[in-house]
Parts: sequence; structure tokens; C-alpha cells
Amino acid sequence: MMLEVEDLQVHYRTKDGVARVVDGACFAVPEGRIVGLVGESGCGKTTAVRAIMGVLAENGWRAGGRIAFKGQALDQAATKPLLWREMAYVPQSAMNSLDPVYTVGAQLVEVLTKRGNASRNAARARAAELFDLVGLHARRLTDYPHQFSGGMRQRAAIAMALALEPSLLLADEPVTALDVIVQRQILDMLRELQQRLRLSMVLVTHDISVVAYLCNEVVVMYAGQVVESGPVRDVLARPRHPYTMGLRNAFPDLMSDALELVPIHGSPPDLRETLTGCRFEPRCPFAQAACTTSPAMLGGGTGNRHVSACRRDGEADSLRQAALDPSTWQRTSSFAMS
Amino acid sequence: MAERLEAAPRALRPGRRVAIVALLRRLAAMPLRDPFAFAGLLIYALFVLVAIFADQLAPVPPLEILFTGTGKLAANVPPGTEFPLGTTNLGRDIYAQLVHGSRSALAVGLSAAIVVSSVGTIVGLVAGYFGGGVDSLLMRIADMALSLPFLPFVIVLTGFLGASTTNIVLAVALLLWPNSARVIRSQVLTLRERAYVEAARVTGASRWRILFVHIAPNIMPLSFVYAAIAIGWAIITEASVSFLGFGDSTSVSWGYMLQDAFSSQALSRGQYAWFVPPGLCIILVVVAGFFISRGYEEVFMPRLRGR
Amino acid sequence: MRFVLERFAHNAVALLAVTTILFFMFRLMPGTPLAAYINENLSAEQQQLILEQFGLDKPMWQQYLIYLANLVRGEMGMSFFQKRPVIDVLLETLPNSLILTLTSLTIAYVFGVLAGAWLAWKRGSWVEGAAVPVVLATRAAPEFWIGMVLLAVLSFNFGWFPSGGASSPGMIYTSEWQRIFSLDYLHHLVLPVLTLAVYLQGLPLLLMRSNMLEVMHEEFVTMARMKGFSEWRIVIRHAARNALLPVVTAFALGIGLSMGGNVVVETVFSWPGIGRMLVLAVANLDYPLAQGAFLMIALVLAIMNFVADMLYMALDPRVTHGRKA
Repeated sequence: MMLEVEDLQVHYRTKDGVARVVDGACFAVPEGRIVGLVGESGCGKTTAVRAIMGVLAENGWRAGGRIAFKGQALDQAATKPLLWREMAYVPQSAMNSLDPVYTVGAQLVEVLTKRGNASRNAARARAAELFDLVGLHARRLTDYPHQFSGGMRQRAAIAMALALEPSLLLADEPVTALDVIVQRQILDMLRELQQRLRLSMVLVTHDISVVAYLCNEVVVMYAGQVVESGPVRDVLARPRHPYTMGLRNAFPDLMSDALELVPIHGSPPDLRETLTGCRFEPRCPFAQAACTTSPAMLGGGTGNRHVSACRRDGEADSLRQAALDPSTWQRTSSFAMS
Repeated sequence: MAERLEAAPRALRPGRRVAIVALLRRLAAMPLRDPFAFAGLLIYALFVLVAIFADQLAPVPPLEILFTGTGKLAANVPPGTEFPLGTTNLGRDIYAQLVHGSRSALAVGLSAAIVVSSVGTIVGLVAGYFGGGVDSLLMRIADMALSLPFLPFVIVLTGFLGASTTNIVLAVALLLWPNSARVIRSQVLTLRERAYVEAARVTGASRWRILFVHIAPNIMPLSFVYAAIAIGWAIITEASVSFLGFGDSTSVSWGYMLQDAFSSQALSRGQYAWFVPPGLCIILVVVAGFFISRGYEEVFMPRLRGR
Repeated sequence: MRFVLERFAHNAVALLAVTTILFFMFRLMPGTPLAAYINENLSAEQQQLILEQFGLDKPMWQQYLIYLANLVRGEMGMSFFQKRPVIDVLLETLPNSLILTLTSLTIAYVFGVLAGAWLAWKRGSWVEGAAVPVVLATRAAPEFWIGMVLLAVLSFNFGWFPSGGASSPGMIYTSEWQRIFSLDYLHHLVLPVLTLAVYLQGLPLLLMRSNMLEVMHEEFVTMARMKGFSEWRIVIRHAARNALLPVVTAFALGIGLSMGGNVVVETVFSWPGIGRMLVLAVANLDYPLAQGAFLMIALVLAIMNFVADMLYMALDPRVTHGRKA
């Protein structure tokens, strides 16, 4: 297992109290697989990934849980030597992720010489290679970041991430800011690179279609916790958690019959408050009384890698059927009251 | 139509009064959250009180030449019970001068602040809102004002036109308005594109109405920021000009005191009680202005302080 | 290149506007229009010479053009009281002002940048909380008052430094260079420079501090951390390098602004610079010299504005290099 995350907790200090942005997340990344980390904004997926890199905002800290890379438990000290050499990060919007006053080539060389052990000449050669790898012309190495278009900047960010040949790539919404055509190109490139270089990847996104297109496994997060995870085909075709069922409905699929776009009413809970019970319960059409008091743990059938954190996991098939009907989601409010 | 108006921000609801009340509330609430700004306002209040009650606080006329009991000139008397800060080399009460000096500071500071702030705001509003030729012209004039060296200009003006507070305020106003005008103009440019202004235009509000009812109230905190800064600048400029000998010699200002001390060799005599207090007063008033303007700047352009 | 030309034109036009304003201002002064250039102090031949040089008997618009042409040649008339060409007086005093300005600004900015970056580093500590108001106080104090206090304490009280002027009486030098680099000159330079440095450091300090605080939150700084770079590299080579940009342009602008602003400090210390020359000229109603001094200050201001624009262009790649598809 390349990466294991157990019961991760990341808290932020805000002026209105402590926000438990990640509150008990569990997932794993097998070697050589692409794991999609999906959920709506604010669910904690970006924070979880940053916690893995060990770089959080000033007011954030890792409050608990275990992160293991290739079996070795990570803390601040253990993470430092791994940074960029074993684990690398592709940022969401590469707009500001490169220093505007240095050329892109110079920044690549910097990483290669200061974090890698290359000589300046070897570094320059390698930088050209990296650009080639991501489909950028070596001529562009002497350009400044602001001279790149959005798609090109993203390619450059990927080149930067691959510079020291890491084993694990953490990509945070790498294609969200791009238009659809460029999105497809970048995703194809990522797939090709992953296969060629045998990378393990975590792809953070809020877009299920990206997950469907590129990932092998998917981890669904909600309100700081993992609610469902498993092989991507399985989870998307046969979701077992009501939230995933609802998510699926919210995304249009051009191939199938036009289903109505059904949004999930309501919004995620305030993570500054202490929460008991299932966090999705207020918005869940299948909620029961017990759901408010005790949350379900992640679990599924024996030997099954597809797990879900829902008490009614056993009835997943029938719930799934009901979830396909838009009217189920209209009645959410009345269910929440009963 | 009615529901759309309901959902619109406060500024869109009919009634100039609502906009102004909301503005005043914002302005008044700020010092309560910012201790420095609060201290600044306190200092301002203190000096205003001193200026108003100068005659009661220091009954001795600041320019009156005083004599000791034996009939000799009470020159360079060290600080003591009778003269808290001592006397000048011409026998004048330094403490009285300091207290009365606050009046001059207040007069210069306030008048300059009002003029600079008003001119800057109006120019900024007009240039930003109407754009085009008007904007270009006003900005060219602003550029010209900015390319004149500040203190030399004030010196030449007062030196040749005569030393009076009015001339100093005039000179300060002529050169300081571009700073606030430019910033206000760029704010107006941003606000002009905002949705609620568009909505107002669509519902048929006239350009002047939009300008004064919707845009102007949102600019006001900026005007306050620059007014607070201008007070300080004006006081220092007046002090500098007086120090150089071009100031108004009929009224006592802190600058006058410093010039007097300097030219009477107070420095070599070590008469710290003469020239240190006026400087400290100036520092206090100007720093108060900084704090207040910083406070209003936060209201208007808040920076993210932690999440 | 377009940018360069545009900024040059902009500053040139501003300078032209200033000279024009000055032209009219001095003509409107109390007294006859001739009073701006001619005075009974000058000899009859000198008066006649000036009359012809400046075409003072010709119509206003012609006078204006002659005035501009003369300016380009450096011809600014005769000082009433020194009875010699204004340009000579100015060129003599200019070096003193330049040295004062450059020395004090450099010290102020070096200190300000380092202290500002350090304070940003110490964000949230009591040191930062106490330091910022203190720095604001230095910006709130009149420069000449700081000078007066330093003068009283360090010169009159302790006797460590001379109380004024740029050289002790009786000193003779073989050349300008020798004078400027002499120990005596430097000794006289200390207090004025110290005064200005204390006053001027506030701006770069606060600017650098606020820039650093902003830059440290930029995405590329977080990325630098993720790459595992040393703190030194992140703070200096990436954060500071970006934060310095506005400070460098402020330095250039500061030179321009200082020339005019140093007036008061030059007076406190009787430092023979252009500012003090202006004050004396105005006090003596020596119009040609006053005009010349003012113009020289305005010229330096315009030049430094242009230099600041050029520096900004040179240091920020986003300005010179446009977007490519």
C-alpha cells in the first residue's frame, strides 16, 4: 500500500472556534492506482491532501490519526525528506503556484539542483526532458509563468511535480479551472504518464465525471469524513451511501437517457459544532431515528473493497432504486423531521 | 419586480436616508473594534478639548512678555511651579504657548482636511463615474499637481504671497487632493460595474441619483481615511513652514515655537522643555491620524486576518 | 519599448507643466514683471544683459519660449544677492544635496527592508505589536524636530558632532572630490544623515513588512514549502524577492521626493544644499535663484519618477513580457 490514511483529523482555528475540517477520514492508495477523492467544496478533501504533504495554513494543524507512506508513519520530521522526492503535489490553479519573477525553467532547475542532486547542466537537460514529457516545447523554459496559458501552466505544474520522479502524485483539482477540451487533454496526459511512470495518484475533484474518466478507485468524502469508497465502476454504478446516490444524480451523463438533474437540498453542517450521529442525516431521504444518534462505521460485506458508512447498507440496492426517482429527494425535509 | 428589489442589497432600497444611516453606523462602529483607532479618536478629542478650553487651561496670553517680581525679564526660567515648562528667552510662558498652539493646529488641520477630502472625493467621484474626456482631463491635472515638489511649492507660495494660515492651507490643499482623488476614482470604477448599480440604472434611476445615493455612501469611509491623513500632513507642513520662517507670526503654533526655540539658541542651552513638547504634541496628533485612517481603511478594504 | 517611451513622454510633459506653472507664478508675484529677473542689486550691464537674454521687453508668449530655450541651455539668470549666474550657484550646491539624500535614503532603506522583513517574520508577537506604533511615531514626527533633538543631545550636549555646515572653518581642499571624501565632511554629514534616516526608514519598513505578509500567503510560497525547500530559500529567494519590488521603486521615488523634502533638515544643520538655497532665496526675494532652485528640485523629481518607472519595468517580468498564446 503506497499510502494509508487512518482516522485523520485536521483542525483549523477560526475566530468563531475550532473547525474540524477533517474529522476521521480513512482511505488507502494501492501502489500504481489512481484514487479519486471526491466531494463538494468544504468536505475536507483538499485539506486532507495538504495534511499528507504536511503543509497546512498557519491556523491549521493535524490533530490526530495516522498517515503512512510505504508503511512508514509520517510526522513533520519524517515527511520533510520525502517532499517532492517521493510525494509531489499538483495544485488546483497553477496561476499563482509558480513564482512570477523567475522563469519556469529556472524554477525547474532550482528543484532539480536543490532538492535533487543534479548539476546545473544535468538539471537543464532534465528540465527540457520534463517539458517534453508533458507536451511543452523546450523553448518555453525561458518564459515567465504569466506568459503561459491556463492549460500550459497546468502542464508545467505537472512537469514540476514529476521532476524528482516521485512515487506518489497528489493532484488537487488539476483540471477544474480549464475548459472541457483542455481538460480532456490533461486527463489523457495524466493517464499516460501514470501508466508509463507507474505512479500512484490521488486525484482530488468535485467532478464525478473526471473520476469516472480517469480513476481506478474512488473515495467519497462528506463533512470531513469518508462516507464511501471502493473500485470506481462499482461505486458509481452501484452506490451504497445515500450521498453518493445523490451525487450521481447531480451530474449529467451525456451517454445515458437524460435523467433530471436532481440537486440534494440543504447544505453541509457547520464543522465548528460538535456533531453526533450521521452528518448527512439532515439531507438524507432515507434517514431513520437512529441515524441522528450514532453514526455508522465504514464497512461492507466481507472481502469486499467497496465500503460505505451507512446504517442501512444492507438495503443499499432498494435505496438505490428509490434514489433514482427525483421525488425521493423532494421529500427530504419531511423525513428529517420524523 | 418587487421580489427582485427585496433581494437586492440595502443600498438599492429607495431612500437616501437608509444609505446614510447605514454608512454612519459603519463609521461609528469601527473604533469600537480597533483599539488603536479608538486611542486615536481619544487623542483627537483631547486636543479638541484643549483647544476649546485653552483660555481656561492657560490664562496667560502666549505672546505676553512676563517679568519677575523684581522687575527683570523672566527670561529662560527653568520649568517649575509658576511656569510648568519654563519661559522663552523673551520671557514668554512656554506652557501657555503649547496649549494655545493646539488651536492653530486644529484650525490648520481641520480646514486642510476638509478641503483636501472634499475636493479629492468630488474629483474622484466625477472622474470615476463619468469617465471619458472628463476623467482624462481631471487625471492630467492631478498628475501636474503631483509633479510639483511639495514643500518647495508651499515655501514659494507663502514666501511670496505672504505668510498666513490661509495660504498654507491653500498650498497644502492644492497639492494633496490628487492622492485621495485617484484612489476614490478607482473605487468608483469598481463600484460602477457592480450588479446593484446596474439594477438601479435599469430601474430608471438618474445618473446623479446613482452617484449620490448608491456610490457616494460606499466611498465615504475612504474620504475619512484621507481626511485623517490630511490633518497630520497639514500640521506637519505648517510646522515646517513656520520653522523656516514663513509662518504666521501673529498666532502661536507649535511650528512657531520650534522656530523660536531654534533661533534663540535653545538647543545649545539645553532647554529641552521648550522644544521637545511641541514636537511630541505634533507626533501625538499625527499618529492619532494614522491610527484612525488605518481603522477606516480596514472597514473599507478589509484584509483577511486569519480564516 | 513602448512602455519606456510612454513613461518618458509622461514625465517630460509633467516637467513642462511645472516649468510653465513656475513661469506664470513668478510673473504674477508682487512687483513688476521684470522683477522676476532684474533687481537694483545687479550692475547696469548685468541688467541689460538679462533684459536681452530673456527678452523681457517682448510679449508674454515670446518670453515664454525664450524662457524654455534658456532653460535647456541652463541659463537661469543672475542671482540678485550672489551676483553670479544662478546655474553656477546651483551646480555648486547640488552635490551636497545629492550626497545627503543618497546616503540617508540608502541607510534608511537597508535598515527598513531588513527590519520590515524581520517584523513580518515575528508576526503576532509582542515585538511586532510594540514596534509598529513606534515606527509610525517616527513617521509622525517632523523631520526637523528629530534633527533638533539629535543636535541638542549629540552635538551641544555631548559635543560629538559639529553643529552645522558641511565643513569646519579654515579647511582648504584641492578639489571637490577631496572635500567630499574628507573626514571633516563626513563628520559634518553624520547628524543630518542620521536625522533623515530615522525619519525615512518608516516607509520601507512598513512597506516591506506588509508586502512580506501578503506574499507569504501566496500560493507559490506554499508550493515552495511543499517542495521541501529550506526556510531561508523560501523567505529570501522567493518571498523577499517578490516583496522587494515595490520597495525598490519607492526608493527611486524617494530620491525625487527627498530633494524637496530635505529643505527643513538642511536648514536645521545649515547644510549647504539646494533646499537651503531655496529657502534663503525666497527669504531674500532673490527670484532668479528661487526659481532656479525650485526647477532643479522639480527636475530631479521628474527624472527619478522616470527612473522608478524603468526600475519597475526591469524588475517585474510581468510588465515587459506580454502574454503569449
